[in-house]
Amino acid sequence: MKKSIGYISSCGIWIALALAPLVLDEWGVSQFAQYMTYGIFALSLAFIWGQAGILCFGQAIFFGLGAYLMALTTLEKFSWFGGSQAIGLILAVLGPGLAAHVVGQLLFRGRGLSGAYFAIVTLATAVIVEIIAQHWSYIGGFNGLLGVPPLVVIWREGLDAFITPMENYYTIFFSALLIYLALLGMVRSPLGIVLATLKDEEYRTRAFGYNIANLKIIAFTCSGAVAGIAGGLFTTQFGFVSPPLTGFALSTEVLIWVAVGGRGVLLAAFLGAIVVRYIENVLSDTLGSYWLMALGTLFIAAVVVAPRGLFGKLLQLPLPRRFRQFVPKKL
Amino acid sequence: MELALIIGLDTLNFTLGLLLVTMGLVVIFGLMNVINMAHGEFFLLGAYTMYMVQQAKMPFWTALLFAPILLAVIGFLIEEFVIRHVYHRFIDTILATWGISLALKQAVIVIFGPSSQSINNPLPEPVEVFGVVYPGYRLFIMGVSLLLATGTFLFFYRTNIGLAARGVIANRAMAASLGINTRFVDRATFAFGAATAGLAGAVMAPIMSVDPQMGVGFLIPAFLSILVGGTTSLLGALLGTGIIGTSSTIVSSIWSQVVAQVVVFGLAIVIIRLFPEGLTGRRK
Repeated sequence: MKKSIGYISSCGIWIALALAPLVLDEWGVSQFAQYMTYGIFALSLAFIWGQAGILCFGQAIFFGLGAYLMALTTLEKFSWFGGSQAIGLILAVLGPGLAAHVVGQLLFRGRGLSGAYFAIVTLATAVIVEIIAQHWSYIGGFNGLLGVPPLVVIWREGLDAFITPMENYYTIFFSALLIYLALLGMVRSPLGIVLATLKDEEYRTRAFGYNIANLKIIAFTCSGAVAGIAGGLFTTQFGFVSPPLTGFALSTEVLIWVAVGGRGVLLAAFLGAIVVRYIENVLSDTLGSYWLMALGTLFIAAVVVAPRGLFGKLLQLPLPRRFRQFVPKKL
Repeated sequence: MELALIIGLDTLNFTLGLLLVTMGLVVIFGLMNVINMAHGEFFLLGAYTMYMVQQAKMPFWTALLFAPILLAVIGFLIEEFVIRHVYHRFIDTILATWGISLALKQAVIVIFGPSSQSINNPLPEPVEVFGVVYPGYRLFIMGVSLLLATGTFLFFYRTNIGLAARGVIANRAMAASLGINTRFVDRATFAFGAATAGLAGAVMAPIMSVDPQMGVGFLIPAFLSILVGGTTSLLGALLGTGIIGTSSTIVSSIWSQVVAQVVVFGLAIVIIRLFPEGLTGRRK
């Protein structure tokens, strides 16, 4: 009985999100689609932080890169693609994935960086990337790029082809679900189990003959690619990209969502992003400038008192059956 | 020649200013292994203390007394209510102090508003040094920084309490079993680190634009200085701030401040990558 709670509540959340448009008005539908986009971003961080224990303070680098690639492609700044959105989305996956791979190669090889060092180096990198984005006129400088078109659907022609809020909602919903299932599959595969050991027993894992750097690079690459998709989808909904998307502030915001939701469980992080953004939207009018104080305090509380976050315990799935035999009976 | 002298003085000024901010950070990091992301906000509160002292028409010098005391109290409270609970979770200290930083910064915005405040320069007369005219107050800051660095060094290497604190760095369990009150050392260290940040903020306020974002600007260079120099010694902080400060001033005098930031951060990342223990750290 107790084991199935995680499954039931996880399925319940996805069903609730699938049915949410029934009770939301058009504005609410587009808002929740945005929250889910942030949720995908949160998934990318929860994957490396919660699973492999790599605390990245520069996750927005990959989100922003995806957003910029999507904008540059659809605005025909990359003229040889003819503004194709499909190619834009593909670039928004491949580009950040490649960038994450390169950063991973540079930082994890040899006597690689870990823990706080990695966090501070990625933080400084995010600042550098943001400064470069601000001063590079080809990608719009301080103002960024405006007028990115929304997604179009293939079954309608002309001006009608632009996606409706409802279609957009389900596009984001199914993207999020697919990404979630893919990451969950990785987490629950043998690879995922090895990644989880990096969190506290890196030396022991190495002693078993695993190549730590390779494992971390694989995880980081996947995470970068997922952050990139989130960025690409974000751009089509907001219609613009600007330097803050790549920088320090968004990188730390996503950390808060994941920590509040629950870093150890993918769906908890996803839900954390949705809930924090939702509350922010509802309360920021009433609380005004006190909102950030409240958020900061909530974040401290989540870190100090509840490292598993608000939803971590509720949504924790039991181990896959084939690994259960390795767990001591009484623990 | 004169230009070289001015750049030299600017370099020294920036480096010593950075050292003033970094001092508290390295003490907290080296001693307690806590990455204090709220350090920039401690600095900010120090600067606002100076602002309040000026509003109250009290003499400038009293702020140099009030700021460290206020920040020591705040540091003590934060240590007691937050940091103490996450000592054993190293990475979580970064997150918890980041939350503190957010809340403190927002509190400043709520109380003083988001706009910047100006503070009168208490020593407006320029001074002539080695044939060049240089702002007198900048020389004062350099003096304070040198005094604080020397004082901290003497405290940790020439007093019994400093010896006890270094014992805790070297081996916490052993220090505790020899009867050193490690809880007291932790509290005192954190309060001391916060106090130096407050002093730095108060001292630097007259030459900076005092606004709620000023802490972040110093936080990252200060962290990079520590990691570049090495986390385990005060000498490392000196070397790290020297490298970051010198390269910043020289690059920004040749190109611009924007280029300087990118180049210096990039340089620091490369050094940290090549020497993960810092330049003064021992190779494992």
